[in-house]
Amino acid sequence: MNAAATPDLVKRLSRRSWVALLVLLAGCAGPKADEFDLAAAPWADIEAAARGQTVNLVMWTGDPYINAYVRGYVAPEVRDRYGVTLNVSSGQGNQLVSMLMTEQEAGKPVSEFDMMWINGETFYQLRQIDALFGPFTDHLPNARYIDFENPFIGIDFQQRVDGYEMPWGNVQFILIYDGARVSEPPRDREALAAWVKAHPGRFTFDTSFAGMTFLKTLLIDFAGGPEALAGPFDAARYEPVAAKLWAYVNAIKPYFWKSGETFPSGVAQLHRLFTSGEIDFTMSNNDGEVDNKVLQGLFPETTRAYVPDFGSIQNSHYMGIVKTAPHKAGALVVCNFLISPEAQLRKLDPQVWGDGTVLDVDRLPPEWQERFRHAPPRRFAPRRADIEGRALQELAPEYMIRLYEDFRTEVIEKR
Amino acid sequence: MIRSRHNSSGAFGMALFALIALLPIGFSLGYAAAYSVGLAGLLSEGFTLEHWARLFSDGEVGRAFGLSLYVAAVTVALSVSLALALLLFLRRPLKEGPLSYVIYFPLAIPATVAAFLVFQLFSGAGYAARWLLHFGVIDDVAQMPNLVNDPYAFGIILAHVSLATPFFILLFAQLYETEKVEALAETARTLGASRRACLYRVAVPILLTRSFTNVILLFIFVFGSYEIPLLLGRQSPQMVSVLTMRKYAMFDLTQKPEAFIVAWLYTALVLALIGWAFRSGRAGGRV
Amino acid sequence: MNGPFPATRSPRRLLRGAAAVLLALACLFPFAYLILLSLAKAWPFPDLLPRALSFDLWARVLTGPSDLGASFLLSCALSLVVASLSTAAGFVTGKFIAYHPARKKLLFLAYLPFIMSPVILGTCLMYLYLKLDLAGNAAGVALAQTMFAYGFAIVFFSAFWNPEIKALEDLVFTLGGSTFDAYRRVLLPVSKGMLLICFFQTFLISWFQYGLTLLIGTGKVQTLPVKVYDYVNEANLFYAAMASCLLILPPAALLWVNKRFVFNEMREG
Repeated sequence: MNAAATPDLVKRLSRRSWVALLVLLAGCAGPKADEFDLAAAPWADIEAAARGQTVNLVMWTGDPYINAYVRGYVAPEVRDRYGVTLNVSSGQGNQLVSMLMTEQEAGKPVSEFDMMWINGETFYQLRQIDALFGPFTDHLPNARYIDFENPFIGIDFQQRVDGYEMPWGNVQFILIYDGARVSEPPRDREALAAWVKAHPGRFTFDTSFAGMTFLKTLLIDFAGGPEALAGPFDAARYEPVAAKLWAYVNAIKPYFWKSGETFPSGVAQLHRLFTSGEIDFTMSNNDGEVDNKVLQGLFPETTRAYVPDFGSIQNSHYMGIVKTAPHKAGALVVCNFLISPEAQLRKLDPQVWGDGTVLDVDRLPPEWQERFRHAPPRRFAPRRADIEGRALQELAPEYMIRLYEDFRTEVIEKR
Repeated sequence: MIRSRHNSSGAFGMALFALIALLPIGFSLGYAAAYSVGLAGLLSEGFTLEHWARLFSDGEVGRAFGLSLYVAAVTVALSVSLALALLLFLRRPLKEGPLSYVIYFPLAIPATVAAFLVFQLFSGAGYAARWLLHFGVIDDVAQMPNLVNDPYAFGIILAHVSLATPFFILLFAQLYETEKVEALAETARTLGASRRACLYRVAVPILLTRSFTNVILLFIFVFGSYEIPLLLGRQSPQMVSVLTMRKYAMFDLTQKPEAFIVAWLYTALVLALIGWAFRSGRAGGRV
Repeated sequence: MNGPFPATRSPRRLLRGAAAVLLALACLFPFAYLILLSLAKAWPFPDLLPRALSFDLWARVLTGPSDLGASFLLSCALSLVVASLSTAAGFVTGKFIAYHPARKKLLFLAYLPFIMSPVILGTCLMYLYLKLDLAGNAAGVALAQTMFAYGFAIVFFSAFWNPEIKALEDLVFTLGGSTFDAYRRVLLPVSKGMLLICFFQTFLISWFQYGLTLLIGTGKVQTLPVKVYDYVNEANLFYAAMASCLLILPPAALLWVNKRFVFNEMREG
């Protein structure tokens, strides 16, 4: 071999060994599964097994306050108290379901993920692909403070939770407006339609979860109340009510932002339009969000929130554990900490997150009851106690599917 | 004899490319095809053409492809023309002096940030609107022209053109040197050509021909763009990748194959485009 | 000497100067605006400048629990590796393709990583990488990113290799030089500008590769873009601006450093 070819040969050899090393390392890096039966073990054993584990939590990471709570409070606490390292990754909803589906399709016996932050729609889909571990909630010591008979906690999108996901927080849908520009917020749907017509281009909603929840609330109103559409999906009951809803929306559509020819794609964009002053109303599934956003300097101090007379949907969000998770003991320990009174109380503070608690205050020890009752109040959004009377339950998931589809065909595509 | 000495590393490079890029792509195409007819996928139930049938009965996909082609074509035309014009007019400042540095900076901006910027600047109550309000050009937010989320995809095109133009300016600047356009134009000049002819018959054709492969790539990028149309576009029609993602993220998991079908149509169209570009002779240059 | 495009008349020169300044300002404006927005404490409509500034946000993020420092280092290392390998390999492979008789067919292959819808490609690749046990680690992510960076580099360099450069290279050989000499004395100096642009673009392809990194890294490979990307699309526009700065300032800084070195060398050389 002459001198010129030697560098090529050297390059080739080192590349091959590099590739071999890579494959070797990748093979060694796989996670190991828990080895004992978690359903039967006493809690002390679970805590012992959890020590030293690294738990992978997948959650929505788009809110700096929530990230600070999880990364800056929960993670250090579980590390100090239980020796569990909490690793947060980004992912939510459908993305999560896709990742777990692909794992199953690829035949992975052990998942890359341990626990995840989920709610209604995602829970439904995860049960459909049987990706959740459970039932496990009864096993957690702190679960005794939760009233699973409360329909807003024990039932998720008209499906019984059954121990497959653990309630974490509770929120109620609210309409948000700028008090400086809106003197009298509309309380019922006729008043809303009148307001929109009187102020063209100043109202809209998004085509994502928040907007669809708003439409769902109107749907319940058109149906005459929550009992009308309760229970499993019924097309015969849905269709006439939906027709009325679309007629209502299409009548005021030309007075929406951008003449109703387009809608913001998500609630984040909706908030941005509100912040920049392009529209006067926004909305949120989370009643605790208003105080946060005012504190962040986004919403003006004149921002107010309310629940209209026809009510608004209250629901909980949950933590789930992956069926093939390798670190279930650690995940259980983290779940238990998340529903501990101190973690829940801290989460309640509007300066931290402002998320409602899932704990039943009456079941707590007396000193905790006191602290919960005197938790820091909200300044810009109504108190939960004031709006709870008008809380509505979530409808069956098929209603959501139909709303998404029909909104497209009946409103967006209709010219 | 001389060729073989330095071609072995190139051949190895090609083989490596085949391993890390072509094989996974080949696999992915096969997997996507299988998914679309129900042969793969967690909730699939065996071979079926119902997803293909359902998708074709809907005009939505056609509109999505139409919009994407329009946006890609306009972006390419505008970026290339603008880049050529700026290069030829500002050739010296771009070669030496601060502009030669500064022109690199826009490359550091990704699609998501570009979309955010365009929205912040040009939406109804955005930064541009505030300046217009300040100078009394408009009296109210409602008078601001529709520049984002608009029917002509103005915002989308603006974002893409802003991202592509600096890259093409740089590419053309480099090609200008390596293709010795200056010398060639000088020769033409001494042979009596006017300045305009030097421009249109010497500089521009050379630069366009040599950069054609990159122009195709730009077209494909814009065609399959996701974040920019997601933020700056409308719900109907949507660009192809936004539609694909919507179909992919549908609540009914059994309809997932529809997303794979749109992806396959996308692939077919892009392959057709590349095939046409190559057959028309421009790609590959003249070595 | 003026060449075929002389800038003789003063008004034209003035116009040229003004245009150059405008272009430079347009290039820098996004950076200035984003930095300003990230420092704003409140910037309501219809103000032209923020009402109040504050370094709180930056302080909280840089010293907070997110550990951005480690992410930053990981991202830099990952992107530098991908960029170096892709640019070098693309340079060599591009040459091989450009001078090859079956040039068109081979070049066509270079486009294949880009023919799939990025959204779907993610799922298919995740399936493949899971099966090959390459998911969830930095090596897998680097491999996935290289797929695109390498393809881009090949396409990019195919514009560059032409008969003149070939002639120069052959000249070196006829004069008795080796491949090494050809590269060192002729090819690399001639292609410095192209190499720089390609290195930068492939660095960026890797740096901004959010979706694929998230999927194939299964959230464990937390590059800086993966950590901050979500903020750019969320409601808080101050955080979005800050996240955007975190995304764009490192590449801009790298570019400035690089261009300085290469630029100076080019001027002296």
